[in-house]
Amino acid sequence: MKGTRTSLSQIDTIIGSLLMILALVASSFIVIIAAFITIRGILPFITDNSGLGSVNVLQFLTNTVWLRGTTFLSTAYGAGFIIINTLYIAFLTVLLSFPIGVLTALFIAKVAPRPIAATMRTIIELLASIPSIVFGLVGVGLFLPVIYNIARAMGYSSGGGSSVIATVFVLSLMSIPTITAVAEVSIRQVDESLEQASLALGASPTQTRFKITLLAAKSGIFSGAILAVGRSLGEATAVALVSGNARSGPSFGLFETTATITSTLLQGLKETNGIDYDIRFSLGILLMVVILTTNLALNFIKRKVGNVHG
Amino acid sequence: MVKRKVRLSEILLNSSVFLSTALSALALGLIFFYVIREGTTLLNWELFTGNYHARNYIAELQDNQSQSYNMPDFSTSENVYPVDRFGIALEEDVDLAGNGVVRVYYVHPDSPFNQMISKEVGTEVVDLDVGMIFQRISYVDHPTSLSRGGAQKFATELNDPQREVYELFFSDLGGGIQGSIITTIYLIFMTIIIAVPFGVLTAIYFNEFAPSNWITKTMRSFIETLTGVPSIIYGLLGITVFVPLTVRFTPAVNSNLIAGALTLSVIILPTIIRTTEESLRVVPDDHRAASLALGANKTQTTFKVVLPQASPGIITATFLGIGRVIGESAALIFVLGAAIKDTVNIYEPSTSLAVHIWSMMTDEPANIALSSTIAILILAIVLVINVTVKIGVKLLTRKGM
Repeated sequence: MKGTRTSLSQIDTIIGSLLMILALVASSFIVIIAAFITIRGILPFITDNSGLGSVNVLQFLTNTVWLRGTTFLSTAYGAGFIIINTLYIAFLTVLLSFPIGVLTALFIAKVAPRPIAATMRTIIELLASIPSIVFGLVGVGLFLPVIYNIARAMGYSSGGGSSVIATVFVLSLMSIPTITAVAEVSIRQVDESLEQASLALGASPTQTRFKITLLAAKSGIFSGAILAVGRSLGEATAVALVSGNARSGPSFGLFETTATITSTLLQGLKETNGIDYDIRFSLGILLMVVILTTNLALNFIKRKVGNVHG
Repeated sequence: MVKRKVRLSEILLNSSVFLSTALSALALGLIFFYVIREGTTLLNWELFTGNYHARNYIAELQDNQSQSYNMPDFSTSENVYPVDRFGIALEEDVDLAGNGVVRVYYVHPDSPFNQMISKEVGTEVVDLDVGMIFQRISYVDHPTSLSRGGAQKFATELNDPQREVYELFFSDLGGGIQGSIITTIYLIFMTIIIAVPFGVLTAIYFNEFAPSNWITKTMRSFIETLTGVPSIIYGLLGITVFVPLTVRFTPAVNSNLIAGALTLSVIILPTIIRTTEESLRVVPDDHRAASLALGANKTQTTFKVVLPQASPGIITATFLGIGRVIGESAALIFVLGAAIKDTVNIYEPSTSLAVHIWSMMTDEPANIALSSTIAILILAIVLVINVTVKIGVKLLTRKGM
């Protein structure tokens, strides 16, 4: 009897440690990703790139022209404008999608009667589940011709419609469901007694929704926006299809072609070695750093803003 | 006066709510409307079973004798031109890229075109199928008929009893997505086989076995961080880690579907762990205590009592994973490239449906029609998965109560 007991608990120990190994592997992937990309991404800066000379880190971070190494026999990779473009586009995307997303969430959580709210929720879920390549396809087929025509009517030239605004539109479509889903949950979690107190004090339902409910839910709403920014920064295929993949910049005009870190990463996939191949890992580092910094900064702001009203 | 002002601002605020909601709904509507409008014309069974790359044929007739065939009447069909001499009919049509082509509309069972001799390697017999496209036909002592001249001229020249057919150039249509469908199915299976057991066992560790200390906490937060990593970064992981790994241990010599599936497994792993853990968490502790009290050990309790109750959650996680695999493009473009293949081998690269769209959209000119057709297929699958997941979640919450 005692023997079985021990063997049974021994099995537990063995199984427990086997499972722990799996869990350790699962949690090590993020370390593997960071390590391998960093090692590969540093190569262009520390080797002489088979005679082309090493890439200057400072120039890489600040220059405004992206030249392909082996084609131009140079290491003048300037990603400065790409960083600015990426942040600029993410900013415009949030500017456009944040109000739409939050107000849609408000509608679903507070305004709409039950069946309509359920329908709207399904619509948002469907929008969230559409793969990014489909957004890219619709962007190319539906937005680019319209933007091209508008730009021409206004006297701007745009590369077939590929532009900052096209990228922002496509990314906004993809961000709205993220913002709405997170905002809706936090709006519904707002203490009802707060709203009732506001109504009892004579505020109208609309005033209550905007001044009490949204304000009380702002921390959650902000989290949704942070998620959306992360998604806009990291989105690749849809952006590459509508951005125009500019080689220099930065592009602030809405009808100018642009390039983000991800869209540049997707360029020139034919190389399988050499500097044009390795430099993509440098862009990978850059992308991770940009996403991480933005996230930290936004979370910092969130904590600051969240504290004002307790 | 003050009251009026308030009311105006209220109207503005309220209408902004309705407007935003309408815009969100419109976004989904636009996507579906556009994809369906552009894509339905190509939607047919041949697309799913056909090859993407058109195959070309060069052939000659076995006998050049004209005879009369009992042909159906084509006079009512527009743009169809019968060739009575050989028992076929040709149609003026437009291909995927919008160029005019001469397409085979009808072939009589006794037509000599059913028994042609291939002029490529060997003396294979080839036959002309409905839907194939004629490039050109050359004649003995007569100028060659080109498809550029249109189907009517083509048919008239072929019908001319003076002309003896010397050589025929034709091809099947191409533009099918059979290879990409098979690739997608392969990727789904391999990814699920790798990621689901891995994810479920990891979730079991965290929920049932792990001590609550800072190590577990750190491990959890590392896995949670994976969800925020953009898919293009996973692509970089795939080419630096998984491609060399698979080249080393399998017959593959370059990027391959196994490396793709491994990359996708890492992508869906956090989702599977989280969803499984959520479903493990709602299993009441009483069940664990009861099982332990009956003398079962922790392993038996976990795998025989707790895990079966979490199965709706695991199925939900699997479906979410399948959805991600179908939609993933950036990571796969990096790991597998964007070359569309008709014969699929797990040791070689090929494109999934999503990457097939990417490949055609980056072509010059972009093939929007076929891309939209594939998008319809992807959206349909995603829709089914969504409904399934919803049902799964419903089952899960009912269990939890």
